[in-house]
Amino acid sequence: MKLTRRTLLAAVSATALLAQPVTAFAQDLPRNIRMVIGSTSTGGDTYQNSAIVAEALSEKLGVNIKVDAVGSSEGFKALSRDKRGTTIMIFHDQAYLGNLYGRQGYDDPFENYAVGPTVAINPGNAYLVPANSPYQSMEDILKAAEAGTKVRVAIQPGGVSEIGFSAMKNAAKVRAPGSEENIVAVNTGSQSDKNQAMWDGLADVINGSIQANEQFTQLSADDQKAMRFVWITARPATLGQAPEAGMGGTTRDDMLAYASPQTSVTLDGTEDFTFDKEFFMLFNKDMDPAIAEKIDTALSEIFAEGAIQERQKASFFIPNYLSIKDANEHLLKKRNTYGKVIADITGES
Amino acid sequence: MFEILTPMFLSLIVGGTLIGIIFGAIPGMTATMAVAVCLPLTYSLGLENGLALLLGLYVGGISGGLVPAILLGIPGTPSSITTTFDGYPMAKRGEGEKALRIGIVSSFVGGIISLAILWLFAPTLADFAIKFSYVEKFLIIFFALTVMAALSSDMLLGIFSGVLGIFVALIGTYDITKGGNGNMRLVPPGTEYWLDSGFSLLPVLIGLFGLAAILEQAEIGVPKGHSLDEIDVGKKSGFSFSIFKGQSVNLTRSSLIGTFVGILPGVGGSAASIISYTNAKTFSKTPENFGKGEPAGIMASESGNNGLTGGALVPLLSLGIPGDSTTALLIGAFTLQGIQVGPLFIGNNPGTWDAMIIAMLIANIAMLVMMYVAIRYFALVVTIPKHILFPVILMMCVIGAYTINYGIMFDVWTLLIFGLFGWLVVKLKLEVAPFIIGFILGPSAEVYFVKSLESFGDVTIFITKSWIAVVLWLLIIGSVTGSIMLSRRAKQNAATS
Amino acid sequence: MGQLTQVTIDFETSHLLFPTIIACVLGLLGLAIVIRDRAKIATAGTYWSGIWQSMDKPRFLGTIVLTLLYFSLMVPVGDIWPNTGRGFLFCSIPFVFLTGLLFMHERTIKSILPLAVVSLVGPVFVWWLFTYPLFLTLP
Repeated sequence: MKLTRRTLLAAVSATALLAQPVTAFAQDLPRNIRMVIGSTSTGGDTYQNSAIVAEALSEKLGVNIKVDAVGSSEGFKALSRDKRGTTIMIFHDQAYLGNLYGRQGYDDPFENYAVGPTVAINPGNAYLVPANSPYQSMEDILKAAEAGTKVRVAIQPGGVSEIGFSAMKNAAKVRAPGSEENIVAVNTGSQSDKNQAMWDGLADVINGSIQANEQFTQLSADDQKAMRFVWITARPATLGQAPEAGMGGTTRDDMLAYASPQTSVTLDGTEDFTFDKEFFMLFNKDMDPAIAEKIDTALSEIFAEGAIQERQKASFFIPNYLSIKDANEHLLKKRNTYGKVIADITGES
Repeated sequence: MFEILTPMFLSLIVGGTLIGIIFGAIPGMTATMAVAVCLPLTYSLGLENGLALLLGLYVGGISGGLVPAILLGIPGTPSSITTTFDGYPMAKRGEGEKALRIGIVSSFVGGIISLAILWLFAPTLADFAIKFSYVEKFLIIFFALTVMAALSSDMLLGIFSGVLGIFVALIGTYDITKGGNGNMRLVPPGTEYWLDSGFSLLPVLIGLFGLAAILEQAEIGVPKGHSLDEIDVGKKSGFSFSIFKGQSVNLTRSSLIGTFVGILPGVGGSAASIISYTNAKTFSKTPENFGKGEPAGIMASESGNNGLTGGALVPLLSLGIPGDSTTALLIGAFTLQGIQVGPLFIGNNPGTWDAMIIAMLIANIAMLVMMYVAIRYFALVVTIPKHILFPVILMMCVIGAYTINYGIMFDVWTLLIFGLFGWLVVKLKLEVAPFIIGFILGPSAEVYFVKSLESFGDVTIFITKSWIAVVLWLLIIGSVTGSIMLSRRAKQNAATS
Repeated sequence: MGQLTQVTIDFETSHLLFPTIIACVLGLLGLAIVIRDRAKIATAGTYWSGIWQSMDKPRFLGTIVLTLLYFSLMVPVGDIWPNTGRGFLFCSIPFVFLTGLLFMHERTIKSILPLAVVSLVGPVFVWWLFTYPLFLTLP
């Protein structure tokens, strides 16, 4: 049933888009645009997101847009080489987090590139424990750290996967200075490595995602693979836009219970720390601003029409269009908040 | 269960398999690429039909690689490297068609055995696979690396080449996504801009096997005639099914190894055929024939790499974790349709599960039939004059290198670097086969070795971790002593004659 | 005994551990080769001059030069028409033709014609295939 509805929807939206005067914008834009992304996977969230945006944009603007999964380092290189606007990039918070964590190949995106509009959020960033873990909540974990128990958290260092871990350390520090020493990283790689670290007994908590780990939380508790969510880092307003049915056996309300404010990981003693993985565009710094302007305007119209939101939601993304100006303001503020968190916890240890 | 067998479904599988074979058969094009370019199509096709196409591409792409491996000595895909070791020598002595037939039938056997295992045991096997921690995975890789000794004609030079391969593979950053710390090493100053991610496998592979072979030909003046003068198209191929007599153990074992390597996330697709090949040689009564045109070598390699197809789907469908780079793309196909993959997938989506099994079955049959029929046409490749064939191969290598990572020019330069390097290696009497095996397995060996020590903090963990580790050590010792004895025997023979 | 086998790995420097081990193994193996094959290595000069003398220099060096040109020109030519793959197209046609000509022995019209056709049709077909149906980026 689902398929018919979706096919129908796709057909309708396609017709609606075709009816638009497609050539109206196309004069100054390059006819063939290459959209590089910060991931090398064509099955991952960055690619899916970019493909949705590229398709909508190319129909709207009447230009060809190819999405190339070249990865962050090659993506940034390609972007810096091309001032003509024939190369644009889509990436997420990793773009500045990699820089904040001092990883190789990450320059400050706000200084070296022009940050463009945001397009979507992947609300899935989460932390999980084994089903039989003594920790029922983040509160338990932070208390354990205060009591001097080492809590090992499996992450992929240097970015999106680490920021929640940094927030845990920060919260521990705010609550009981010194206890952050007891929250230690287990540095692993892919999601499969993080799961494996849990099953091998090498980690007490792992970073994961709603999409990749939800089914493990539905296993019976005696299954060695069973897990439980303890924290979903998304903002409550973001999760609030997720489909009500949620994902698999976890409803939206279930998810909200693991997110701020019901699950609180404090930022500074008053506010909660939250993290949404936001996808946004990046342009070459010296690119003609008129091109960026055109893309931005086209995006605002695409989002006003509303078809793109359906596609994004079908893949469990939260639509999140912010114009270039708003996006810059928002992301810069976000960057500074996280920059402070990271500086605070690394300053002392 | 059978209502999904619509004409659309069937034709997508067959069409997918055909396109996959073509991708696999062109040096530089891989099954992964075939799946990647067709992935967006699946959105409009719907889940079952989309999967039919992708699984056909997957099976076809893995199988097609044997064609250039045998006829040109250039592996069409990384997983068919070990097929070149015996397939190309066979083709050179006029048994190209026979080698192709052996390869195709073995591919089919591997595909079917692994499919049966997928169908019957997927969740159970996934539970077993997660018992493999860093330590066991390192030992598996280590076992695969021991084939370096077995493959070389001069053991010292061969092992040196293999270790050199590992060394070259470590150039660049210690990959964060595999568990590294993202720091760069072994990069000469001034080359950081290009070498920050090191050399990619595919350009290295086609440089070493494709460009280097053409340079060798150019060096001797590109002798006139066809690339294989004694190719026996249309003549009696000398193939009969009796050749598989006494090989059922080899075929089954290799298929099972391929399947199991596929099940282990992170060990990697190319390792499947290498490990099958190592095993076949270790347990063979005539190990000295391996690498010189031994049919059993082709059987091991091809049943091993097709065994991967079913195996790699096990962790995907029962853990939501891909077993190799191609199945990683299949996750995309599921999420595009809003379907979750994870431990509950099979139970929640019985219809899709059945459709996948049926699609795989049909794809394997289609692969067998189409490739069998097409052997004659494949073999025509070698009747093309060299002065036309070689430039076209070069062009295809360039395309493969450039598109494998979606448009990175340095990959094309890598092709040239390793083309020259491959030419030089032969002149230095070093050996290409151990080098490429070291290069493929080096990064995994590093991560699992370092992570084992990092996590357990004791070197004895490699022996004491589990009974699995002990079994793996026995295999490693068996493979090493086998190679040493073999090399002794060869020396004695040389001395007496 | 237990103490002896214990190791602590510092994550921040763990990228150097394995390369160091491999470099040592490589060095030892290299040393063993030098010792074992010292006689052969001593005569390396004649070995290489033998290779140089018996080499078909025009074809070997010509292939390398043509390949170098091909690779170097592809991107600048492609940049004239960004993201259309024409750099690949316009460089491949002469490359295939010239390399074919270089490899050819009797350069008669009868043998050049098929090459000319292939060097035109081949790249055009591949370019079309990758640009349209496969939708992949070429230089």
